[in-house]
Amino acid sequence: MKKQLLIFPSIVFFFILLVFFYLLIIDRDPTELPSVLIEKKVPRFEAESLLNDKKFISTEEFGNKTTIVNFFATWCKPCREEHRYIKRLSNTKGIKIIGINYKDNPQRTIKWLKELGNPYSNIAIDSNGQIGIDWGVYGLPETFIVNAEGIIKYRHVGPITKKVYNNFYSKVIANRE
Amino acid sequence: MSASVGNFSLWLSLCFATFQFLISRKKNSHSALQFNKIAVNGLLLCILVSFFSLMYSHIVSDFSVVNVFQNSHTTKPLLYKISGVWGNHEGSMLLWILVLTIFNYFIYKLYNQKNFTFISKSLETQAIITIGFLLFTIFTSNPFERMIPAYPNGLGFNPILQDPALAIHPPLLYIGYVGFSAAFSFSIAAMSINTEEKISWYSYMKPFVLTAWTFLSVGIAFGSIWAYYELGWGGWWFWDPVENASFMPWLLGTALVHSLIAVEKRKSLQSWVLLLAILAFLLSVIGTFLVRSGILTSVHTFVLDPARGIYILVFIALLGGYSLILFGIKSKNFLNKRYFSFFSREGSILVNNVLMITVCASVFLGTIYPLLVEVFSNNKISVGEPYFNSTTIPIMIPAILVMGIGPILSWNKADATKIFGKSFPSILLTSVISIIFFWVYQPHNMLGLVGIILAFWIMSNILLTLVPQLILKNKKFIQDNIPKYSNGMIIAHLGIALLILGITGSSIWQKEKIIRMKVNDKTEIHNYNIVFKEINKIAGPNYLALQGNFLIYNKKKKIIAELKPENRFYPVANNSTTEASIHTNLLRDLYIVLGEGDINKGWVVRIYYNPLVIWIWIGAFMIFLGGLFSIKSNLKFIKRLTL
Amino acid sequence: MIKTLSLSVLIIVITILFSKTNIHSVEPEEFLQNPKQELKARNISKNVRCLVCQNQSIDESAAPLAKDLRILIRKKVKEGHTENEIYKFLTDRYGDFILLKPPLKRTTFMLWFLPFVFLAIGIFILSWHHKKSKKKLPHT
Repeated sequence: MKKQLLIFPSIVFFFILLVFFYLLIIDRDPTELPSVLIEKKVPRFEAESLLNDKKFISTEEFGNKTTIVNFFATWCKPCREEHRYIKRLSNTKGIKIIGINYKDNPQRTIKWLKELGNPYSNIAIDSNGQIGIDWGVYGLPETFIVNAEGIIKYRHVGPITKKVYNNFYSKVIANRE
Repeated sequence: MSASVGNFSLWLSLCFATFQFLISRKKNSHSALQFNKIAVNGLLLCILVSFFSLMYSHIVSDFSVVNVFQNSHTTKPLLYKISGVWGNHEGSMLLWILVLTIFNYFIYKLYNQKNFTFISKSLETQAIITIGFLLFTIFTSNPFERMIPAYPNGLGFNPILQDPALAIHPPLLYIGYVGFSAAFSFSIAAMSINTEEKISWYSYMKPFVLTAWTFLSVGIAFGSIWAYYELGWGGWWFWDPVENASFMPWLLGTALVHSLIAVEKRKSLQSWVLLLAILAFLLSVIGTFLVRSGILTSVHTFVLDPARGIYILVFIALLGGYSLILFGIKSKNFLNKRYFSFFSREGSILVNNVLMITVCASVFLGTIYPLLVEVFSNNKISVGEPYFNSTTIPIMIPAILVMGIGPILSWNKADATKIFGKSFPSILLTSVISIIFFWVYQPHNMLGLVGIILAFWIMSNILLTLVPQLILKNKKFIQDNIPKYSNGMIIAHLGIALLILGITGSSIWQKEKIIRMKVNDKTEIHNYNIVFKEINKIAGPNYLALQGNFLIYNKKKKIIAELKPENRFYPVANNSTTEASIHTNLLRDLYIVLGEGDINKGWVVRIYYNPLVIWIWIGAFMIFLGGLFSIKSNLKFIKRLTL
Repeated sequence: MIKTLSLSVLIIVITILFSKTNIHSVEPEEFLQNPKQELKARNISKNVRCLVCQNQSIDESAAPLAKDLRILIRKKVKEGHTENEIYKFLTDRYGDFILLKPPLKRTTFMLWFLPFVFLAIGIFILSWHHKKSKKKLPHT
């Protein structure tokens, strides 16, 4: 009776060790949160556009073409560093990139884009972070892939770097088809 | 230069530890004793040399040593240069090993004619543990790594960590964790030797367990003291994974300490002791794993490195697997055929064991559950304070109730109705004191009531047991059915009572006020008037600060304190902290924090009225004192044993 | 004059530097006028995790995101939403991770259920022991 009693905790012990082992060998960032908006429709919102007088209306912008959504700001250093990869992505056929300027100064952003180049087909101004909250954004930069039906398919947390570019690019292509 | 010496010494200790392992396996007592003397002393000496050469490198700011470069700076005060040695991953591993080798030495000193096999087996186990940690340190976390060229200065050190309480916190904790390693070794040895040898293995374990538990308690206390004084919102426990990692061995250690008493006095609960000793140490190492592997994030985690994690995990698997399998096979040899009554003192210790393990299991579950969810679903959840409070507090309440009457129960035999008779005076006393307390102190609250009753329950029981003992001391005999109580137990239990008092007061009846104040503004909290007198700039040894000056007036319009909270900026670390200003007395803390603001719109000021906080620290200190008393009386006993 | 000037400069410098630091959590200006609503908002905030901090609620944290969420929660409390509606709003966007008290659902069922199991096992051990001791010990 005693022996059987002890087998069960031992199994639990080794099971827990296996779980730890698994978590160690996969490539994972313990601080990263998975997005709960994957496979959901894009949040509906309206905002000011940065570069023209028309309003940014989400229902018009999404649902027609594969779209990359990039949350960025001028005060965010990694955003500056990833910008050239965003630009590279914008050359991809059949997709467009929308920028969401998060809690920023519009004049500064316009200058920033003039200096670094503008890959965005349109830019929404998120002055108080509300759009960010609706998208579950918790830090900058974050980049989403939205398919042609307006469903969010993927989120990348942090800057698009050389290391992750190819992986991200392949996901973009996969969702374009 | 000293770093090379340190590194060489580290490798040499590995040789000595291996030597100790091999020698301890030899059957020939005479030569083994001689050689082990060399091994144990050599090991200790080498680690001391290693440790102090790292310290030397820190003190002279030798930035060619990576560890010094990453963690130190010339402007750090000397005290923190020294404590900086163990304030990082690599250095703290060296401290772990130092404490391991010191305890190893003391195990060795216990050798005598009769216990040769037992002590040898213990030293063998201890050697394996030491080798494991040495290999880990040398190959994955070597503090003596060099960098050429050396930078002229280091990366500074987090100013929040430059605090005396935090400086002493790791060494105290490690005495705890490593003390349990000795208990582990003794447990393995007790199960491995021939049962005909009749070694009172539990007597050998006791001083180490007492030391470990006592220092773990005070180590945890210092961590909480630091959090309360430094972090700026009056909290002192957050159920952070690493705090939990220290709390779980403490819970098992508490069960272990009490079970050892039962084993000593009545030879019962032996297999509990063996298992608890194994689990307490395993949890200590698992705690080390959680902090250093990068599997979780926490304010306490060191550098995130999965490779290190895999190493420690394998080590845990081997140690845990071996010890638990051994326990599974051998524990039946330690069953005591005399069953004690449930209502006896052993019964109360058994109840305590069960409750402590239940709390430990719940804390463990809550700590690792997010990891399980992450593996088996796409979701990520967080388990925070509300979960831990709701699972631990309801279990602690019956544990404290049992703690009150446990010591007055007699060993082995008892009767449920007799217990009621014995405890009636304390029930009465508790009720009286509680009623008086709530008559005087108005705000009523269910949980507060429970906390106060529990605290007074313990105090009443202690008082009522002390009285007959003191009376009897005058008469020169001690009756058989009135037990003697150890000073250690009385002081430690009293400490717990005060701890509960403090925790209840500060959690339940805390008052908070957050307002924006300009200079000369007034506000008030719980009968105190507070005037924001002025704001100044000051400079410290390595910081600039903005200091607010607040005058506290009591009901009678007298100034009872001048509080000066600061906002400090440390240029080297490019880091800012707030320093709360606290006025303490036996009844409450007044705690002020200066927030952001400017001359025109004023500053955000956070004021806390924290009742009874000091009793938390007094209680913790008394627990420590009680432990010390117990260690002292136990050492006298051990001396007789090993002669 | 110079003293005030240098003090102001220092204050400005330190304020700019402090904008990145954890010295302010919930600020007086965020408070709702209605104390009942304010208490409700604070209780909700105390159960919401600050996502960019280590083990703090948004009530305690100074992070900008924490502040945004505090303001959002107060707005919703003022609009009359219930506690559960507000939690749902947050978990719809950030997942269950944002709650410090894990909600009871299929994935967290074990988390809430197992402590009872531990307690039951404990009670079982104690009663098993009690039965055995009654059998073995002579009645007093």
